[in-house]
Amino acid sequence: MKNAPLEALKALVGPAGYLDAGPDMDLYLTDFRRLHRGRSPLVLLPANTGQVAQVVRICAQHRIGIVPQGGNTGYCGGATPDDSGTQVILALQRLNRIRQIDPLGDAITVEAGCTLAQVRQAAESADRLFPLSLGSEGTCQIGGNVATNAGGTAVLRYGMMRALVLGLEVVLADGRVIEGLKPLRKDNSGYRLHELFIGSEGTLGIVTAACLKLFPRPVERATALAAVADPAAAVQLLSALRTAAGEQLSTFELMPRLAVELTSRHIPGVRDPFSSAYEWYVLTELAASNSGSGSGIQTTLEEILAAHATDAVVATNLQQREALWRMRETVPEAQRHAGASIKHDIAVPISVIARFIREAGDWVTANVPDGQLIAYGHLGDGNLHFNIQQRPDTDAAQFLARAPHIHRTIHDLVAAYGGTFSAEHGIGQLKLEDMRRYKSPTELAVMHAMKQALDPQGILNPGKVLPAAGT
Amino acid sequence: MAKILVAIKRVVDYNVRIRLKPDGSGVATEGVKLSINPFDEIALEEALRMRDRGAAEEVIVASIGPAETQQQLRTALAMGADRAVLVQADAGAVVEPLTAARTLLALVEREKPQIVILGKQAIDDDNNQTGQMLAALWDRPQATFASTIELKDDKATVRREVDTGLETLEVDLPAVFTTDLRLNEPRYVKLPDIMKAKKKPLETVTFTDLGVTPKQQVEVSHYEPPPVRQKGVMVKDVAELVGALKKRGLV
Repeated sequence: MKNAPLEALKALVGPAGYLDAGPDMDLYLTDFRRLHRGRSPLVLLPANTGQVAQVVRICAQHRIGIVPQGGNTGYCGGATPDDSGTQVILALQRLNRIRQIDPLGDAITVEAGCTLAQVRQAAESADRLFPLSLGSEGTCQIGGNVATNAGGTAVLRYGMMRALVLGLEVVLADGRVIEGLKPLRKDNSGYRLHELFIGSEGTLGIVTAACLKLFPRPVERATALAAVADPAAAVQLLSALRTAAGEQLSTFELMPRLAVELTSRHIPGVRDPFSSAYEWYVLTELAASNSGSGSGIQTTLEEILAAHATDAVVATNLQQREALWRMRETVPEAQRHAGASIKHDIAVPISVIARFIREAGDWVTANVPDGQLIAYGHLGDGNLHFNIQQRPDTDAAQFLARAPHIHRTIHDLVAAYGGTFSAEHGIGQLKLEDMRRYKSPTELAVMHAMKQALDPQGILNPGKVLPAAGT
Repeated sequence: MAKILVAIKRVVDYNVRIRLKPDGSGVATEGVKLSINPFDEIALEEALRMRDRGAAEEVIVASIGPAETQQQLRTALAMGADRAVLVQADAGAVVEPLTAARTLLALVEREKPQIVILGKQAIDDDNNQTGQMLAALWDRPQATFASTIELKDDKATVRREVDTGLETLEVDLPAVFTTDLRLNEPRYVKLPDIMKAKKKPLETVTFTDLGVTPKQQVEVSHYEPPPVRQKGVMVKDVAELVGALKKRGLV
């Protein structure tokens, strides 16, 4: 590609603001799961919103594709360029200031490159909670959390990222900026523009800052790992906890035996807290933000578990709580140690989730002899990571070769159950075919119209989210 | 038949970031998670394992503290202790190691255990004195900082971690043991045991009942937080590092 625009971009951001060679650059070209690898002549690291806008303006002028990138922890290749070598990467990591904390208004304004952990910490230092919580929170960035509408383990109580955003600052495809950082709980003045960009994966605009909701910090928590007979029993337990604890129920995560086995084997410090093995487990937590109700939530949890769980262990101190959480959070890591896996990030209505697991599980058992099902995740949200793990001593390449067929079958079944093929991981470049297959032509047409309106040249994260029209 | 007495202390949870009260008069405990001192939890775990191997018949867990300490004693009962004794102190009262040791001695005289186990120190005041004082007052052997304890007949072989390596002691029972971190990993509390624990005896007594007069011999003037660590600076290469160190007169 032509050199002049690239030189202009470099001059704009200065020597500390780009990478065009070297091993460091490699980190930006591969995704976290190492499924995708792209090429790019230039990684831009602008220092502020003004520079982002100017970068976009130059790119717009020369029709250069821009791939926005945060912490690069996405699961669908949404932040990895294609292999044309013509797209530049725009990493927002240097926009990492906490601009403002408003404990009275329960709002925090942060730049896109702040890590999630940084924002959670800033909130905590003001005695507040920013509830979004992901396994990758030390690395993932707020801009990416917004762009992918991240989920995680606190959705049950606080909702996905969309529910936590009050306003956004966004650079549009022509370099204009929407300054929408008002910390307002109510604003019905026309279309809620910032909502458009949440979950758009950088295809409609580039998020440079966000105004986010804060909450009172939970001061008492009751955490347990429960053993249940099957997913149907887990759903019963969920319903009983909801009835008894209301909004204090903050976690409800399902794990099969295999998840406990793999994490105990591969992750230091994780051990099976039970003396006997069970088929299914639920990590559940109640949280209260007012002290005094502490032994109350503990008792509630214990009573409901006594009535609805086969067995359970309760964390008696925070170290045990963290150990139980570690088991849940390191399932993906343990899966990597244990070989290849074929992953699905699906959601189905909670009322049919147990039936779905049974039917889909039976299919896996009958048709994927070299794999075993490890369906775990946010049962309270109807969201499962329905993964199939390669069995020991089988051939990974042979196993993975059947991934497309397996994806198709599982996703067809999900659709039949009224579910979605992407609950919280987004589309990126990984699930374009699924978009074409499972979204209605009307939905796709509206999405294309939105893309056309906001990015007519198609320079923002080209080739992501939307399958090419008409093919 | 042999009894084991375990002493536990209610402290701010190990994983809580400690904050001071605004007036510097102490550590803030309002709305903060309180748990069994981790070393004491290890002591309890060891006692339960001894009992379950048949080396003792009964594990009695005792604590000195305000009424809320019942929560930690219930947890200890749920872990498996047979019964609990709370020596109730006024809320906010400071119990110094010597008072604690005298109180435990009174319980020892009442219960006549073969073995007393407690943590080598509590993580709140880090005194590391109660076990030693108790052994001296009781006039029985002590084996502190135990990383393994083996019982045989009326003797115990204890490995303890010292600066020069591992030291092995043999002591005659009855004796006092204090636990180090490596002795064991405490169990999780299981749900059926929580339900059972609700029915186990938890007795509350006062210092007066035990004939102990609490004494305060140390006066704390004030507390202050440790200095905040200065933010680091990134240097590009060794030359810049050396330059920066020279500039500060450090090399």
